[in-house]
Amino acid sequence: MASERDPVIVVEGLIKRFDDLTAIDGVSFNVPRGEVFGILGPNGAGKTTTLECIEGLLNPTQGSIRVLGMDVPRQAREVKERIGIQLQASSYFDYLTLREILQLFQHFYPRHIAVDDLLERMDLTDKAGTTVKKLSGGQKQRFSIAATLLNDPELVFLDEPTTGLDPQARRNLWDLIQEIHSEGRTVVLTTHYMEEAERLCDRVAIMDQGKIVAMDTPQNLVRSLPTPYEIKVVVKGSLSQDGLETLDSVVNVRAGQDGGFAIGSTNAARTLPALLAWAGREGSELEHLEVQPSNLEDVFLSLTGRGLRD
Amino acid sequence: MAFPSLFIANLRIIFRNRQAIFWALAFPLLFVVVFGFFIGNGVPTTTIAVVDHAQDQLSQNLMTGLAGVETLELEIRADEAEARQEVTDGDLGFLLILPAGLEERVASDPPAIVTLLFDEGSPTSGLIVGVVRRFLDDANLTLAGAPTLLVLDASGIYSDDVDYFDFLLPGILGMGIMVYSIVGLASSITVFREQRILKRIQATPLRITTFFTAQVLAYLTLALLQAAVILGVGVLAYDANIKGSYLGIGIIVLFGNLVFLSLGFIVGAFSKTAAAASGMGNAVALPMMFLSGAFFPRDGLPTALRVVVDYLPLSPMLDALRGVALDGRALWEFPLELAILSAWIVVASAVAVRIFRFS
Repeated sequence: MASERDPVIVVEGLIKRFDDLTAIDGVSFNVPRGEVFGILGPNGAGKTTTLECIEGLLNPTQGSIRVLGMDVPRQAREVKERIGIQLQASSYFDYLTLREILQLFQHFYPRHIAVDDLLERMDLTDKAGTTVKKLSGGQKQRFSIAATLLNDPELVFLDEPTTGLDPQARRNLWDLIQEIHSEGRTVVLTTHYMEEAERLCDRVAIMDQGKIVAMDTPQNLVRSLPTPYEIKVVVKGSLSQDGLETLDSVVNVRAGQDGGFAIGSTNAARTLPALLAWAGREGSELEHLEVQPSNLEDVFLSLTGRGLRD
Repeated sequence: MAFPSLFIANLRIIFRNRQAIFWALAFPLLFVVVFGFFIGNGVPTTTIAVVDHAQDQLSQNLMTGLAGVETLELEIRADEAEARQEVTDGDLGFLLILPAGLEERVASDPPAIVTLLFDEGSPTSGLIVGVVRRFLDDANLTLAGAPTLLVLDASGIYSDDVDYFDFLLPGILGMGIMVYSIVGLASSITVFREQRILKRIQATPLRITTFFTAQVLAYLTLALLQAAVILGVGVLAYDANIKGSYLGIGIIVLFGNLVFLSLGFIVGAFSKTAAAASGMGNAVALPMMFLSGAFFPRDGLPTALRVVVDYLPLSPMLDALRGVALDGRALWEFPLELAILSAWIVVASAVAVRIFRFS
């Protein structure tokens, strides 16, 4: 009997080369059953290539991949029966209706869930007789997820599921992904939105130039930063930057454009009282005070020196 | 079972694409209708106006006899002057004038003069004058009581002669199947690849060969429908002659279709957009359409060119189609043609499999 925390994906030393280009340069990780695992990185980092190797769509140049205990690509067909794959920006037949497409795809699997139930669940029942072309961006993504869930998969791959969606549609899709996860399915997704990774993922692998540069829970990744908090302060009158730098747990101070300062701190709980006491002594009245935890964007920046969407 | 649903899905995709259906059915039918309209069918009938001043037994017999000639239609006129004017104006092609007292003047000297007026510019004037002259000669011999010495067996002149339209119809059929198989499949494959539909199929346990087999089978079904519609319209609306077996024609159509579908796969492998696939497909199909003799016999081509053109896939397909349809020959009388087509199927599909890309 497989235990709850058995890894459903084991990747070791994965390398994928296209001619001269090394798209994946030695990647290893495990994904335990029931986890939402995110691969975060900028475009071209190798996220999609990594997914497609695991899904059995691309043959790796080197390394070993086991999915649900089976070897990929050797047992790719058996693996595909039990996983759901949503491709990035893939579309479906132009001249078939949503229902016809799902009815067609259900014949590709040994077992499947009822098409109409699935359409109902994705809130697409009233669109069942139209073609994919006539759907909005959010509806298209929901349909694409419906097709992914058709075989009732244990493991679901979503490649940039919310790219190009408006904020409302993105939030709806997040709810849907959380629902899929709550049904006990393991979810692997790629994204270049740090907010998405923080909101959805139990663990995040940060990829850059074909390598995993960090992998942990979003909280631990942020805590590992030299400055997990940033305190923004604006005062009436003036404050000396040098004075701020001497405060407890402060790592760096940057002057902001609004005449205020951004203080990088290892521990906001210690810096904040020190700041208030210091301002009192100096006789400065605080006009604005804000404590911001750092996010994965900052983690990526500190690891690579570049922004996620550079 | 995945295969029947895939086959049906492919048929739906083909038949719901109106542009594709236009190229498959309306385009070749347009050729049938246009050529049928310009060429007409069979030997045309010619109208001859007759002014009968005699009104006796002999003139009646002559007119009944002339009216019995298959290609002639008689029109009785009373006013000779008016009819003459119409010939002068070009409104009337032929005017036959039977003089008064025809019967009494038989064997008198000088003989009765039957006048035939005609428009020199009429393309059939020679033919008609010949028919009328021959008819009068016969009448002369009969009236003179001369014994029949020689009989011309003229059967087969009008019966089932092959005309240009009969020659064209298999050409249009071959052209229609070729253009649609190459252009239609190339653009659909291109769209499937560029919209990542092929990749989406690969993400399921379905074997991609099953997917393509179902697609090819749907195209073969459409090709048989194309053949039925094109030949049906040609035969029913334009009286085309199909002498051979329809089964034989169907088998030749399938052979040709498999060649052109393989070529469509190859074109589809190279093109990035449906428009490029269509352009490239036409660039392959159109020269073949003219060279291989869809509309004209290849006999007119320079010998050096013919040596090459004879081995283009449309050439053996049209030769076999015409052999069966026009000459009523059996399918097995065309082993060379079927061998050339089979060789094309093997080579082109091997190339297609080799160069095909899924993404």
